[in-house]
Amino acid sequence: MPWSSFPMPPYGRAAFVGFYALATLLAGSEVAILGLALNPQVHPDYRAFYIDETTTCLNRDRIGSYSLGETISFLHLGKQRERMKRADSMKVCGWTGPTGDGTHSLGEASRLRVKIPEIPGDLTATLEMAPMLRPPQITQRVIISVNGVRVHETTLSGEAPQKVSFVVPQAVLAGAEALDMAFDYPDSIRQTPVASNIYDRAIKLVSFRLDVADGGATDRTSAPQTPTGPAPGD
Amino acid sequence: MLDDVARENTGRSTALAIAVVPLFFVISGIVIRYAAFTVVWPDHSLQPYIQSLCRWDCSWYVGISEKGYEGFPIPGESNVGRWGFFPLYPMLVAGLRAVFPFPTAIVAIATSIALSYASCLVSWQLLDRNMRAYILYCAFLLSGPFSFYFTTFLSEPLFVLLTSCVFLALKRSSYLAAGVFSALLSATRLVGVFVVFATVIQMFQEHRKRGGPVLSFPRLVLSRPDLLVAILISPAGLFAYMLYLHLTVGDGFAFVHVQRAFGRATGNPLQFLWDAFSATPATGWLPTSPQWSAFACVAGLALSAVLAFRRQYGAALFCTLGIVLPLLTNLASMVRYVVGLAPLVLLAMTLLAAHRATFYAALVLLPATCYFTMIAWMRGYLALV
Repeated sequence: MPWSSFPMPPYGRAAFVGFYALATLLAGSEVAILGLALNPQVHPDYRAFYIDETTTCLNRDRIGSYSLGETISFLHLGKQRERMKRADSMKVCGWTGPTGDGTHSLGEASRLRVKIPEIPGDLTATLEMAPMLRPPQITQRVIISVNGVRVHETTLSGEAPQKVSFVVPQAVLAGAEALDMAFDYPDSIRQTPVASNIYDRAIKLVSFRLDVADGGATDRTSAPQTPTGPAPGD
Repeated sequence: MLDDVARENTGRSTALAIAVVPLFFVISGIVIRYAAFTVVWPDHSLQPYIQSLCRWDCSWYVGISEKGYEGFPIPGESNVGRWGFFPLYPMLVAGLRAVFPFPTAIVAIATSIALSYASCLVSWQLLDRNMRAYILYCAFLLSGPFSFYFTTFLSEPLFVLLTSCVFLALKRSSYLAAGVFSALLSATRLVGVFVVFATVIQMFQEHRKRGGPVLSFPRLVLSRPDLLVAILISPAGLFAYMLYLHLTVGDGFAFVHVQRAFGRATGNPLQFLWDAFSATPATGWLPTSPQWSAFACVAGLALSAVLAFRRQYGAALFCTLGIVLPLLTNLASMVRYVVGLAPLVLLAMTLLAAHRATFYAALVLLPATCYFTMIAWMRGYLALV
């Protein structure tokens, strides 16, 4: 026999059978565990961020308090910690800490969430934000969705912050306790060619404001005027 | 009669030397690292010294040892779970802390020094009782330029010891022992699971050495249940951790998936190396941090090739995989990963010990560089992460 020269240790028959049983148990356990690992039982947020990698913004259970008509600053306000906490409480994911020129987006998407009272009509959202640009890229598109419905798309350019206003239709808020605003950045800037997209940069958010729409509100972006895409809610 | 006495005396003095040499380097290493610490930190007491040693991933291991792993969602609204860090060493420290009522970092540092001392003892046989190589290996681990890795709370001290135990068991053809050590190794760091290939290769080499044909090797393994157990038990530590993660997080591969939150993106290893070598210093001539990482990577792969050339195919494959797997996600921590591969360091010390001049030069340079790298470690030099 070719393998007879590979000496068998002096095991008894019981040990011989025992080793086979142990080998079978190990193999079976490992296959079973591999099967479990290949079928993860996880929360959809976990799956989207860690497994499918369909988002860079890991949803968190965070809802900020907000009063309609209030302007929330996302700048670093020095010793005005309470004001900065208000902004921080709204940041679900995809943001850095506040700086002198605003709160920078992080990744390919960001989210804000605030608790809102029941409103009979539409809301007008006003955001002040500036694009992060790296030549030759001179514009930054931002797609904004509220409670999962796309409501606005804008293209930012230049260095100065721009005010972007758009209507949030009552239909997307009906029955919801919170306004969940998602920002998607199709043109986000990768830090280095080999860096992870979770570190992408796109905008600097300066302020956030919601008002009850006066009935004639239209989408607009100011200073400078930039073309805006159609919003499904319009 | 006189010959027997002489042999006995020689044996005793050798045994004494084997025990004393690493002890000497334990003490010299502590002195050198402390001397470096006093230069960087104004407060020279014990607590800041412990803090200065416990940097980067050390705090993750302290967290696991004290609080265990998180579920999902992660407390503190963090994206980064502790799942990427394997459990055996933090578990060991947690167990010891239950016996010795000291802060975690102190227990861990003492344990790491003890494990590295034990690694030195195990290396005596692996170095074929080459005293010069043994002295250099002890100097490298305990007083060398990277000795802070082996004397703080990182997985390296246990990883090196278990790797050495696996290869010593393989050298003695004790496959079951190798399998058990491999199982522990696979619960220490992910790349530990690759040592199973070294076991299979060693079995194959022994089979061939005894005249067995290539094609009969699978039949040999299947007909020998003890060899089957040795192979199948090797990844048991990894599978146990996967089961734990599935039961707690719901994802047995959480240790892989969490790498996304650390910003580790997979890519072309050659591109990573090229980019790192291209990151030339803006001023001066000292290599940049990416360049050091790239040098370490290439040196590690070159030493793996030398292992293969010396027909240590199992160790060569284990080390190559231990370098290439992390390289798929860029060069972060590459220096630590390379110096934590025991077969490479054993080989390097054997090569340096081959000539009297290189031996003495290394004996002086290893502790001398420890002082400077310790300062760099405390100052957060990125290549040493």
